Amino acid sequence: MRGKDVRLDQVAIRFGGSTAVHPTSLAIEAGEFFSILGPSGCGKTTILRAISGFIEPSEGRVLLGGEDMAGKGPNERPTALIFQNLALFPLMSVAENVAFGLEARGVGRRERLARAEELLDLVALGGFGGKKPADLSGGQRQRVAIARALAVEPSVLLLDEPLSALDLKLRQHMRTELRAIQKRVGITFIYITHDQGEALAMSDRVAVMSRGRIEQVAAADTIYADPATPFVSTFVGEQNVLPGTLVSLAKDEATVDTPVGRVTGRAKGDLAPGAAVLVMVRPERMALDGRRENSLTARLTARHLEGASVNLDFEAKGRRFLVVMPNGPAARDIPDEVTLSFGRTDALVYAEGPLANG
Amino acid sequence: MSASTESRGAQLVLNIYVGLFCLYLFLPLAVMSAAAFNAFDYPSVTQWHGFTLKWFVALAHDQRLLQGLYNSVMVALGVIAVSIPTGLAGALILTRLGERSGTLLYSVLVSPVLTPGIILGISSLIFWREFGVPGGLFVAVMAQSSFIASYAMLLFLARLQRQDRTLEEAALDLGAGHFLVFRRITLPFLAPTAFTAAVVAFLQSFENYNTTVFAVGGDWTLVTEIASRLRFGLSPVINVVGVIFVALTLLAATAYVVLKGKPAR
Amino acid sequence: MGSLARAYGRPLAALIAAITVVWVLVLVLVPLGAMIEQSLWWRESKGDTSLAIDRLYNDMSTLQLDRSSATDPARQAALDAQIAEKQAQATALEAQEKNPPKVYGFDNFTRISELHLYIFARTILYALMVTLLALVVCYPVAYSVALASGPRKAVILTVALIVPYAINELLRVYAWLMILDYRGVINGVLGWFGLVDLDNRGWIPFLENPSAVFVAMIYTYVLFMVFPMVNTLETLDRNQIEAARDLGASSFRIHRRVIIPHAKPGIAVGCIMTFMLSAGSYSVPQIMTRGQGGDWFSQLVYRQFYESNNWNMGSAYAVSLLVVCTAFILIMMRLFGVGLRDIAK
Repeated sequence: MRGKDVRLDQVAIRFGGSTAVHPTSLAIEAGEFFSILGPSGCGKTTILRAISGFIEPSEGRVLLGGEDMAGKGPNERPTALIFQNLALFPLMSVAENVAFGLEARGVGRRERLARAEELLDLVALGGFGGKKPADLSGGQRQRVAIARALAVEPSVLLLDEPLSALDLKLRQHMRTELRAIQKRVGITFIYITHDQGEALAMSDRVAVMSRGRIEQVAAADTIYADPATPFVSTFVGEQNVLPGTLVSLAKDEATVDTPVGRVTGRAKGDLAPGAAVLVMVRPERMALDGRRENSLTARLTARHLEGASVNLDFEAKGRRFLVVMPNGPAARDIPDEVTLSFGRTDALVYAEGPLANG
Repeated sequence: MSASTESRGAQLVLNIYVGLFCLYLFLPLAVMSAAAFNAFDYPSVTQWHGFTLKWFVALAHDQRLLQGLYNSVMVALGVIAVSIPTGLAGALILTRLGERSGTLLYSVLVSPVLTPGIILGISSLIFWREFGVPGGLFVAVMAQSSFIASYAMLLFLARLQRQDRTLEEAALDLGAGHFLVFRRITLPFLAPTAFTAAVVAFLQSFENYNTTVFAVGGDWTLVTEIASRLRFGLSPVINVVGVIFVALTLLAATAYVVLKGKPAR
Repeated sequence: MGSLARAYGRPLAALIAAITVVWVLVLVLVPLGAMIEQSLWWRESKGDTSLAIDRLYNDMSTLQLDRSSATDPARQAALDAQIAEKQAQATALEAQEKNPPKVYGFDNFTRISELHLYIFARTILYALMVTLLALVVCYPVAYSVALASGPRKAVILTVALIVPYAINELLRVYAWLMILDYRGVINGVLGWFGLVDLDNRGWIPFLENPSAVFVAMIYTYVLFMVFPMVNTLETLDRNQIEAARDLGASSFRIHRRVIIPHAKPGIAVGCIMTFMLSAGSYSVPQIMTRGQGGDWFSQLVYRQFYESNNWNMGSAYAVSLLVVCTAFILIMMRLFGVGLRDIAK
């Protein structure tokens, strides 16, 4: 199996009057594990269905391995889709499910069942071929769906939130397994999810979508450490958000007036003095001392033990601040009033814009 | 029955009432069945001349009734052949149509169910005469199919509403052509309903009188033959037919309950 | 249409569409149209045509007589010409009599006799009464079955209702014919007590009373009222009834405010089916009157087709019946605020 690259060239998708996807260009490399992350209704599934051929884009082109897919149905594209509900055929045995794609290609019965058995071995389900999907556990069904999709030797595997029905433990296990399978078969994976943990854990690169637009495409680390927009910033991980007014700008260092005083941070995008801005600081970047550039006095309101870490809720000037620190002696016996501080490079300053979850 | 929602007295009255209602439904059938075994040559239970099976023998030698039975079965099979594919096609279209055009087509397709049977028989009779086809078994098949297809369609529609469309999409995505998807995914999903619809169609056709009597012309089915016999007086042979019907129905109902009563997997 | 093609591919979609179109046209719409068309024309056969033909032949025979007694050749030729002319007229009239011209209009509807109109009105009235009575009789049964708690009881009741329902309509009527016949069960029982004398034809002629048809009709169609009502009542959340009772509502009020409003679609469907079946029933009146009486409109329709051989008039009768049934359906839908999709469940 060889992966193919996937390119969206100014693809826009409209249903009746409403726009599901605004004109979008995207280049996914061959053999890459690529995730599209976004809240429900952001258009990520629509993009996936346009790649697999269930939807024709209203504008633009979808190219697989450089070939324009216009006019090709889902059964003529080198893609395989793993559905959110898996869509295993309930009336067929597991082996028949896996072999179905080969049946569609006219492969003889004996040969296709032998191939199905190989694939079931690959996903550690050897010997389960005679069962019905309903007799399997959630994780096993998951693997059948993967085997069924791989049986047609697709160049691109599309996954539509396939782990969402599983419980937490199994989900985490399947992440590792999916990543391992992708490494083994070497084809392009495009993974759709609303779960940032999944996207960050598995992907080479992640695209974050909101309201029919891609906000950022970057490696998982970059998405977390250097989000491009207020939406990405707040959708991926927790943020302390501080609204304010930009006072001055020197190179990429922004000085901002906020309700808790003047702070400095790293400017993201084009900003002009006097503009309304948002300052974002990750909870784990806040320190319980006054040693960093920006500091403020806050009152402890709640302490939540998470296990390995501790979440601390503070209040300053009517605003809530979250601090996450590793569990340890320092996280205990915190005085009611403390000085919080964060570094200049830990604060990101954005022009005001929509946040995740309002 | 619903002890928690009614007072005891009201519940008792209700139970007695329902009991009487069931008695009202069953008693005439019991009387009819009993008379089939009476040696008296007029169907009666009040003048009992002794137990006999001679009317069963008489039925076995009644050529016209046997021919009618054969005709009824042929017509019913014809109705199945016509109404299952048409009902299926109508249901498939309706599940994919938009709200407005769907409602219009739906109205047309269910209207035969709400039309008096004799009118279906008459319109078919007139329509087929235009093509030189006189009333007969063929016209009876067509007339019956016009409303039995609607029943089949309603059954298919109900089933299709519970269909998981991603299954068809998944099969397409795996490279299957539309015919293969239809044969391997859609049809197997609909097969149990097709069986139910065929049984319903057979029963509906077999017992139909009002539509058939207009469409059947000079031919006859079991039911129209029985009806025309009654004009010349009652005979226990008809009761024998009745007994057979009651027995078969009871058997089928019992089988149904027993099968359904089995604990699900 | 596009989504059908996307789901099943173009050839299959075309086949599906074609079958549906054939169904709509060949089984539903065109036959209906043909019936309506048939009801709108008749053959203009003037009663005086045959009279005129008779007169012409009379004239001709007189002329023949004159001719055989005439001796003058000129006179003979004149008579021959007259005979030939009369013959031509007669031939033309005969052709017209044999194949009278089609005339379109509403005469088939307006020419209905007073007696037939009376029977039509009475049929509708009886059908309405059957419907109303069936509704009253069935409501407690449907309520009881739908809210039955134990699954066993529900099964038994369902079987007790479904078995009679599944038995041939004709045999159900026949059972009542047996009961009400001259030598039937009721007269037989009365005979045991010496109330009637069967040996001397001293029975009570139940069958000669129109209510015999009425009784058998209720028996035959009552279950078409029960099942739709059971279906809707089964979806009623019993907690609603208990909540209403808890709030102090009387049984009457609970039925009026909670249960009946919920059962509305079922009631509408039951009424529509029962009315349609009884207004258009041919089996019940035909069997209960043993083909003798003409009390029900459907019997008149049958006779127009198979006895008077007047298909135009028969079609007009059928169309009238269809119009009444359609009106009834529309009125019920309006009255109960239900759509067609609720009906055909």
